[in-house]
Amino acid sequence: MMPIWTKSGKKHAVTLLKVQDCHVLRYISKEESGGKTSKLLVGGKNVSPFSKSESAMEIFKEAGVPRKQKVTVFNVTDDAIIKPGTPLYAAHFRPGQFVDVTAKTIGKGFQGVMKRWGFKGQPASHGQTKTHRRPGAISTNKAAKVYRGKKMPGKMGNIYRTSFGLKVWRINTKHDIIYVNGSVPGHTNCLVKVKDSKLPTYKDCNKNPPFPTFFADGDEKLPEDLYDDEIFQFTDPPVTYA
Amino acid sequence: RINSDGKPAKFQPPPKPVIIDKQKQREERRFLSPEFIPPRGRTDPLKFYIERKDMIQRRKVFNIPEFYVGSVLAVTTANPYANEKASRFVGICIQRGGKGLGATFVLRNVIEDQGVEICYELYNPRIQAIEVLKLEKRLDDNLMYLRDALPEYSTFDMNMKPVSRLDHEEIPVNKLQVRMKPKPWSKRWERPKYNIKGIKFELPEKKMKEAQKWSQPWLEFDMLREYDTSKIEEKIWKEVSEELKK
Repeated sequence: MMPIWTKSGKKHAVTLLKVQDCHVLRYISKEESGGKTSKLLVGGKNVSPFSKSESAMEIFKEAGVPRKQKVTVFNVTDDAIIKPGTPLYAAHFRPGQFVDVTAKTIGKGFQGVMKRWGFKGQPASHGQTKTHRRPGAISTNKAAKVYRGKKMPGKMGNIYRTSFGLKVWRINTKHDIIYVNGSVPGHTNCLVKVKDSKLPTYKDCNKNPPFPTFFADGDEKLPEDLYDDEIFQFTDPPVTYA
Repeated sequence: RINSDGKPAKFQPPPKPVIIDKQKQREERRFLSPEFIPPRGRTDPLKFYIERKDMIQRRKVFNIPEFYVGSVLAVTTANPYANEKASRFVGICIQRGGKGLGATFVLRNVIEDQGVEICYELYNPRIQAIEVLKLEKRLDDNLMYLRDALPEYSTFDMNMKPVSRLDHEEIPVNKLQVRMKPKPWSKRWERPKYNIKGIKFELPEKKMKEAQKWSQPWLEFDMLREYDTSKIEEKIWKEVSEELKK
């Protein structure tokens, strides 16, 4: 995470996400998948092909791509289908876009009710016998049962969570890095899924995105760094209020 | 020339002149700002490389001088609510924290009997100028104890003139022992955890001995806490100096 300053002098914290060897693996049509839209399987980081069985490696062999650590599913409209085997780059996103980021949260293990659900617990003194971090009452007398989904101690973390509506401030095309506003679930160097935002306020945010994706061997030659309009770039003179 | 013997004298070449190369002496002293050194952790070195590129970009446009904890600085920042849209603050640097672009330094001064500490970010674009009025080191890396010292040690004149010094001289270490206000202090500075050498403790012997109860003499031998930065520093120094020369 890094600080970033706008032209008006405000500071924002930014998370760096690296796009590491992403390839499209397979196209599943609407009828095959049984959903409302067709799906594209996309694979992430490259790992060694020797520790998995042959059947699992079939998908990668078809696409002609080394084995990936993570395979995710993206729902795509019919006009955005990409041929399996094409690499995906950070330039697929543009600065000024809004993005949802999904990842597995940091696993905290078996945790008590105060850390997991934020219960207040009991006072430290004034006669409390062996009760300082316990949940207290779990239901009423009339209910005569404990409701399903009651907040109780258990395994915390290590589940998929999404942060919605994060602005993309800057894109580095040379190293494939996306600078995304705010924090992102997951530990450092964990695998993360980045999608266009589904929030209704940001529905019309993408002005001219590369559609269906950014092709490196195409005609467009992008500069090494793409900045949002409001970012203070370090080549500019210092900010003054006239 | 003929000697007294009558034979011709052997040719004695003139003594070689001793050349003192002052530039070499100057280059021997390398200063790498502490925010360039990456902290110990599991982050990808690529992140530090990209952050360093940004930091070097900023340093090319705006000069961030060399300074240490204990030197007196004057900082002018852009302020929309000030009269001339720029506010100037003079103070002694008591702490340098943070790594990378978020590096900060805290300046302390006593203005009209009120102690004021301002924490500035080195790479904040609103900073117009940083001038070093007095470049010196102190006996400690962290001068937070000045809050409990007598106010005369933290007062600096707002219109102080910069103290001139020659380029190749070594940075002077001010071995000042500061006198403190009576206890209670904000932190127990006499404890060995803070390892302060710059205070003249006027506490009774009994209190000083009691403070040594909290000493942890095994800490300096703990190998897992060692973080040898010499090789990393050399690499980064080379990279940074090459980039800045361009």
